[in-house]
Amino acid sequence: MRRYETLFIVTPDSSEEELKAVADKFQGVVTGMNGKVASYDEQGKKSLAYNVKKQSKGYYVLMDYLGQAEVVAELERNMRLDDRILKYLTVKLADQVDPATVEAVKPKPKKEAEETEVIEEEAQPPEAQESEEEETEED
Amino acid sequence: MVTYRRRRRSFPRRKVCRFCADSSVKIDYKDPKLLKYFITERGKIIPRRISGNCARHQREITMAIKRARHIALMPYTTIQPH
Ligand SMILES: [Zn+2]
Repeated sequence: MRRYETLFIVTPDSSEEELKAVADKFQGVVTGMNGKVASYDEQGKKSLAYNVKKQSKGYYVLMDYLGQAEVVAELERNMRLDDRILKYLTVKLADQVDPATVEAVKPKPKKEAEETEVIEEEAQPPEAQESEEEETEED
Repeated sequence: MVTYRRRRRSFPRRKVCRFCADSSVKIDYKDPKLLKYFITERGKIIPRRISGNCARHQREITMAIKRARHIALMPYTTIQPH
């Protein structure tokens, strides 16, 4: 699975219920496509650097999730059609992520668990060993 | 013949790239507070010959500023030229 984050702006005249509805809807889109929401962070109302759809403010929300590329396509399609969403931006964070290493939904954004890689030591004597077959690789 | 005189303006020049000097600073498009040091009053990206960034970090800064502009965290331009 891949890891993505989508930062989007919800229209500033949204009520608390509407923000909740937006949260449920888009997390549902991700989970409905076999994705996994790692965090959903409502960053509050901020003023925009320029007007978007005649609004000068908006609620910023950052959603961090895992899924295939289709999840992003479906999520962005839904955002495009939703009048409450002023703008969105999706960034890919990682190509290969094991979903088991990422906790689902609303844990406080914490650092990923450190993975300890098992390094296999190759004990090689200083002298070059004679191998029975020599492989020649051509580039 | 034209003689070029080296006149150094008193730009706040940095000899070393600050991101190479301090690797704990992460370049993130969600951090307009950091990025705004690298744009002019008009919102243009400051070239690296002035900011002192190395090529790699300037590229990252540019990328981050462009993303931040897209999501309205930073302006494309501030003052309308007349
Ligand atoms: Zn650098």
